[in-house]
Amino acid sequence: MAVITTKEITKIYRQGDIEVHALNGVSIQFEKGEFTAIVGPSGSGKTTLLNAIGGLDTPTSGSVVIDGQDITRLNSNELIDFRLNNIGFVFQAYNLIPVLTAEENVSFIMLLQGVPASKRKQRACRLLEEVGLSEQLSRRPAQLSGGQQQRVAVARALASKPKFVLADEPTANLDSKSTGNLLDIMAKLSQEEGMTFIFSTHDQRVIDRAKRIITLEDGKIISDVTV
Amino acid sequence: MMLIKLAWRNLWRNRKRSIITLTSIAIAVLLAVSMRSMQLGMYDNMIKNVVGSYVGYIQIHGRGYWEEQTLDNALQITPQLRDKVQSIPGVKHLIERIGTFSLGSRGDETKGVMVSGIRMEDERQMVDWDARLLKGELLPPGSEDILLAKGVARFFRADVGDTIVLIGQGYHGMSAAGKFRVGGIVDMKNPKINSVSVFLSLPVAQDYLSAKNVVTHLVIDKAENADEKQMLNRLTTALDTSKYEVMGWREMLPELEQTILADSVGGLLMVFILYMIITFGIFGTVLMMTQERIFELGIMMAIGMKRLKLILTLIYETIILTILGLLIGIALVLPIMYYYHVHPLQLGLDQAEVMEKFGFEATVPFLFNLQLPLTHALIIFIISLVIALYPVIRIWRLNPLEAMRSK
Repeated sequence: MAVITTKEITKIYRQGDIEVHALNGVSIQFEKGEFTAIVGPSGSGKTTLLNAIGGLDTPTSGSVVIDGQDITRLNSNELIDFRLNNIGFVFQAYNLIPVLTAEENVSFIMLLQGVPASKRKQRACRLLEEVGLSEQLSRRPAQLSGGQQQRVAVARALASKPKFVLADEPTANLDSKSTGNLLDIMAKLSQEEGMTFIFSTHDQRVIDRAKRIITLEDGKIISDVTV
Repeated sequence: MMLIKLAWRNLWRNRKRSIITLTSIAIAVLLAVSMRSMQLGMYDNMIKNVVGSYVGYIQIHGRGYWEEQTLDNALQITPQLRDKVQSIPGVKHLIERIGTFSLGSRGDETKGVMVSGIRMEDERQMVDWDARLLKGELLPPGSEDILLAKGVARFFRADVGDTIVLIGQGYHGMSAAGKFRVGGIVDMKNPKINSVSVFLSLPVAQDYLSAKNVVTHLVIDKAENADEKQMLNRLTTALDTSKYEVMGWREMLPELEQTILADSVGGLLMVFILYMIITFGIFGTVLMMTQERIFELGIMMAIGMKRLKLILTLIYETIILTILGLLIGIALVLPIMYYYHVHPLQLGLDQAEVMEKFGFEATVPFLFNLQLPLTHALIIFIISLVIALYPVIRIWRLNPLEAMRSK
């Protein structure tokens, strides 16, 4: 059964008198445990599609159904709750909370969910251990390398036990070694925990590791290949 | 707890800015409170000098005495009158006085003086007369001496043991004349009062004025926390107002209240300007703390932090910053208030001259109590809560996607 289904979603932005069709009738399904890369040139609609799936942006028309619920009908507060409990985000610039330590950054999302302190600590430590950062628990983001910060971001994305993880250009700021490490971790989690990962990327190293590659151009899917 | 921890750590992201804001709040408290403490202390001192030590907070006279201050409008003291007055809550002491103007003379010098007949043992319960005594003694029981205020003594170049002659008008047209030995010289702590006052024992004064059992003033000394207005109302209700008039010091000395009011407005204006400065100071910090983190706030909303929790975090930041500044300010101002309360400021020559011209002592003891700094702290705290509305509105309208594009 599909975890995510988009039906004919369009997104039209207005720039003065000009209408920009960022998404043009995109219909697509994602199954549990998929490791998918959405590729395409700049302005092709990759990030807009990811934002629509992540409930950060409302499509102009069409629907985004996640586990049977059409999230385009939710108001902004319901969307915040929905994102908290269903979606993990990994951003290009890591975007960790700078004043919290690695462990606190991972725990924070569980705190928002109301998970008790002892369970939060236990899960945060386990996730950070899985991403190879058990020695850096009490370091703040500024004391970590880019690759390490992105691994904390992955641990944070997984902390809330989401249905899927959306990663927008997660390797854009990383060197090859860090990229390799990060992809290994995500692939492992996808295989072992059946976690669905959807990336938007330009990075060939990510594309090479993806099991499914969706290519967008001018807001339309021009190819959808399962490797 | 996590939100408070987050707010605390956020405050120290820009250590310099937070320290500058804390310092400005603390300095605002320091300046506002010490300025008001000085002013209110000065007013208290004025009131104590003029009201507490001489006029009294409340006086009862015969009807019409205040309009026409002659002995003919004096009142007869009866045990019923005393009992009625003393039954009013808040009445601490009841002091009888007879007062009139006479002509004083010594050698070639002649001067109009205010003669007050007093019972020293009663007066001592209201004011520390021993502290006022410069020379001689304070009209011991049975004394027929006269006590001169230091300005009168200076005018007559009189010393203890010298003789002063008084001539005036007595009760119901009788003429009054007497010769009195100077028994002591006192400092009434008020230049105007010092320049005209002389004191006799009440029976001696009544004898001099041919006014047996008659007094012009019943002065009421109130208990420390007694409500003066309530006492006035009760006294007016209890007494026959066709025979007696009950007056508070504000009515008797309107110029004193007006002087205090006029001066106080100037002080309040200064405090208002300080508040305006601090308002912009705190607002500037809150504005920067919010604006520079719009992207981060967007991320937090994207990952699932509700608006209310974000708002609470930013409100905690403002509150923590303000409370810290206020505590530092209060900690700094309390010792200053206390020091100048115990060791009053002595005004410089020019200022002292002006004060004395208006009849006030040239010393300024600061008011020392906790209510004053706490009141100002509360005002600044409320200002900070109003300022905290800015991040509330900003976050309420925040679209996480637009916020994440703001970087």
